Amino acid sequence: MIKKHRKPLTAAIAFLLTAGLLLSACTWSEESGGPAAGSADKGGTQAAAGEQIKLRLTLWGAPNEIAVNKKVIARFEAEHPNVKVELQQIPTDYDTKLTTMVAGNDEPDVAMMESATIAFPLAEQGKFLNLQEFLDKDPEIKADSLVPNITYSSEPGNIIGIAPGPESFTLFYNEDAFKEAGLTPPPSKVTEAWTWEQFVDTAKKLTLDNKGRNADDPNFDPKNIKQYGVNPGNWWGAYSSFIFSNGGDFVSPDGKTFALNQPEAVEALQNIADLINKYHVAPSPLQAKNIPATNVALQTRKVAMVIDGQWNTSTLAESKVHFNVGVLPVMKKPATTVVCAMFSIFKSTKHPQESWELLKALIDPDASIEMLTYGTWMPSLKDWYTDDALLSKWAVNQPSRPSGYKDAVIDVVLNHSHATPTGYVKNFNKIMDIVNPAMDNVWLGKTTAKEAMDSIAAKAQAQVQGRRDVK
Amino acid sequence: MRESRLKLGAGYVALGVISLLFIIPFIWLIRSSLMDLSQIFVMPPEWIPHPFHWDNYKRALTSLPFGTYFVNTLVIVASVLIGTVLTSTISAFGFSRIRWKGRDAVFAVLLSSMMLPGAVTLIPSFLGWKELGFYDTYYPLIVPSFFGGGIFNIFLLRQFYMGIPKDFDEAAVVDGAGYFQIYWRIILPLSRSAVIVVALFTFLGTWNDFMGPLIYLKSDSRFTLALGLQMFQGSYSAQWDLLMAASAVVILPCVVIFLLGQRYFLEGITLTGLKG
Amino acid sequence: MQTNIPMNAPVPVRRKAGVRERKALFYGLLFTAPAVLGFILFTAGPMIASFVLSLTDYNVFKESVSFIGFDNYARLFSGQDESFYRSLGVTFYFVVLRVPACIIISFIIALLLNMNIKARALFRTIIYLPSIVPAVASAMIWMWLLNPDLGLINMMLKWLHLPTSDWIFSEKSVIPSIVLTTLWGIGGTVIIFLAGLSGIPKQYYEAVDVDGGGWYHKLRHITIPMVTPTIFFNAVMTIISSFQVFNEAYILTQGGPNDKSLFFVFYLWRTAFRDTEMGYASALAWVLFVIILAFTFLVFRSSKSWVHYEGGGPS
Repeated sequence: MIKKHRKPLTAAIAFLLTAGLLLSACTWSEESGGPAAGSADKGGTQAAAGEQIKLRLTLWGAPNEIAVNKKVIARFEAEHPNVKVELQQIPTDYDTKLTTMVAGNDEPDVAMMESATIAFPLAEQGKFLNLQEFLDKDPEIKADSLVPNITYSSEPGNIIGIAPGPESFTLFYNEDAFKEAGLTPPPSKVTEAWTWEQFVDTAKKLTLDNKGRNADDPNFDPKNIKQYGVNPGNWWGAYSSFIFSNGGDFVSPDGKTFALNQPEAVEALQNIADLINKYHVAPSPLQAKNIPATNVALQTRKVAMVIDGQWNTSTLAESKVHFNVGVLPVMKKPATTVVCAMFSIFKSTKHPQESWELLKALIDPDASIEMLTYGTWMPSLKDWYTDDALLSKWAVNQPSRPSGYKDAVIDVVLNHSHATPTGYVKNFNKIMDIVNPAMDNVWLGKTTAKEAMDSIAAKAQAQVQGRRDVK
Repeated sequence: MRESRLKLGAGYVALGVISLLFIIPFIWLIRSSLMDLSQIFVMPPEWIPHPFHWDNYKRALTSLPFGTYFVNTLVIVASVLIGTVLTSTISAFGFSRIRWKGRDAVFAVLLSSMMLPGAVTLIPSFLGWKELGFYDTYYPLIVPSFFGGGIFNIFLLRQFYMGIPKDFDEAAVVDGAGYFQIYWRIILPLSRSAVIVVALFTFLGTWNDFMGPLIYLKSDSRFTLALGLQMFQGSYSAQWDLLMAASAVVILPCVVIFLLGQRYFLEGITLTGLKG
Repeated sequence: MQTNIPMNAPVPVRRKAGVRERKALFYGLLFTAPAVLGFILFTAGPMIASFVLSLTDYNVFKESVSFIGFDNYARLFSGQDESFYRSLGVTFYFVVLRVPACIIISFIIALLLNMNIKARALFRTIIYLPSIVPAVASAMIWMWLLNPDLGLINMMLKWLHLPTSDWIFSEKSVIPSIVLTTLWGIGGTVIIFLAGLSGIPKQYYEAVDVDGGGWYHKLRHITIPMVTPTIFFNAVMTIISSFQVFNEAYILTQGGPNDKSLFFVFYLWRTAFRDTEMGYASALAWVLFVIILAFTFLVFRSSKSWVHYEGGGPS
């Protein structure tokens, strides 16, 4: 019995061994020879004219976004025949992978960076080139050719990254929901923006329980809501716009004091929390986590209005829902937070000038026109927002750009946008590690915003390390 | 083993209920893979796609070079399988069937390697392989499998070996067999189900591993299937419809291998046959 | 093999033992050489490196690194870092719930799957399926199933007139809910139990049949004792892996709500790769290492009294 088992086992092993070796031999030799290949073509010498230069670019993104970037690269290589760009896509755990690469002295030339994570730790160790110098010398674009708030600086005068385009927060709504309720839709012009009270009133009329009663109705049943008036979002991206609108901030103007416990910020946070717990027009975090993507939420009328990023215009257009955008309600002054990832150039690059050219190509609106018309991105250059001919290329007659878009989004980004707190608040993450759990209780209605922020103010203060936009 | 009808019936019912629970993710995966993106997250959920988006599969598989990824994955998995099965069985034998000084201490030290969270050895490991010039190659993914294939497997096999009566070894020794013959002719065949389990886990683990390829590979022509799956996640939202379709295709070989391999847990040892 | 020792040689026993021991040592080292070499080459280095780093202020991006002795450890034990004790507590709670649940449920399922049911190949595959569904997809599915309003699970509970739960969205129920989601992935543990069960010689059961014993007798006196080496293995592995739970926090809860699912390895990873404090993170890792080592040692110690090896145990 033992001997019988041996033969098939040995045969199986022998087969696997041969198959494995054959396969490996074929594939390994195909890929330009095993071990040494990887490190061989790194680095080059100074960029003498006509010499072949290789640039490495790392990015993340879904296949459709990467496809656009590949087109940008192809165009760039055509215009710069002596430069080849090696695109290294990092599909997941971008920060971990990039950190590992930096640790191994394998930094790319140009990299996409996120201000909320490792961009500033890298910048603080001097790993990036100061793009201000390039902007000053560049014949085509200058610092003020760019839309406001898309550059990131580790300190005034030291620009460490430029975004390919801003993303802002705006008020999406389902036009049909408003028609059926007989209500005037949100205004798109900043001058006509709703006050917070008007906003709440409208939201109440649009919040329906399963028997069709709205939130003004005395018999309204808050436990069985079929349609919410609004989903305001409960992360800093969404509520920061209202903090700024109310005149508050995360830290004081001199950067020395924690400021979320100040009356302006507290009032803004409490207002949002009241939407959930006092007026029942917004879903609680429990329900919000499961409200599917904004486009589905509006399409299925789970909510009538959503406060979310402008990148949703693309999926909303695809979902064939009658959506439009309105300007955010104003507490004291109009404001919207601009968020975006940036491109940075590593100081260790051997070809700074070519890297800069590549960065320019990546932020050039003409090159990414598909993503602009699709709706996911917005252009980086100011004149694309002001010049009619340029506007018509991406913002007119597009399913992703409804009638309210120009006033509610474009105008606001140009004139009333505010930098993302991750860009200027030092040690933002550690501060938010303390703020977020406290805010969890505010959203759940267990404490007021004031109580929550006061209770953590001292701990948060200990983490405050200043601002990047003051000297 | 004959069991009463009642027991079998109860068993069917219990397993039926449990299977229903366990099959939900798989059904969700398949139904989402055939749906339009806007339908996938609708609440309350819809279980039948309308219409059936068969083109999701075509689009998913052509949006990335999955053919290349497949070949790459095969190469890695085949090599790792061979290395692991060979060296883990041998090493486990040394830790259980030979009494030598310091054996248990050495085993303890090896076992302890599982107790340190990988996050902090990630960079030192990476740097080590890079220094050797093996960055962007498959060596870091394959070579360790020829050196024991992981303490998990060795530990598992050790436990099984210790369950095999020593009479066999002693009989073989009397017949003049050395350690290697004992290993090859007695232990290995008797622990077949455990070895199959090791092979199965190794296959599945390597097939689905994306962290290793992510860290040690650079060129996307060398990426594996698991890494390819990760690519459907974008900056703001994932392309869920394509991700689900691609996932369904990627796990298909795993399901097949499992169906074929699990048969081997059936067979046990019947002592009488061997004693004779 | 055996050396030929002359009958009237002086002190024959001691010499025999010495030679045999040396031979055993030689072969022992030879057989385990791959594993030991592998450890020395690939594992020992990074482990030692991470320990050394835990004594420094290593920040991956900084050019210089300074040796700061045990400052990192002082910092985390002193209570200055609240997340340390909090995440340890959260993780302990998880381990205490998960290990017994996982072992017991896997064992029961394995017993069921070991019965002579016709469709067992199919059942086994179905039960193993969730383990191979990609983690990304699994996470989405869980968020969906556990939706307090419309998720399948609460809907089923409502239908059965049972109380519903807020699952992973409430502080109190988040850890038990996560334990529940991990139970989906027990396919591997079940397989190992199945392999263990398949090694029980049928004669033993037949002997009980002859003696007139029933299923309980078989379970208690044959199955469980024979399967103790497998239980032992699964227990050790489940403890080691449960202490290092990470994915659920990373993908599902981000440590919330209110830090109530801030698992230790999630906290560690955040410290290492978001805050880039690699030296401090290494210290955290080694503290966990010692904890896991202690628990594993206890289990090994106790194994002498409850684990039964048919082969008599280690050679």
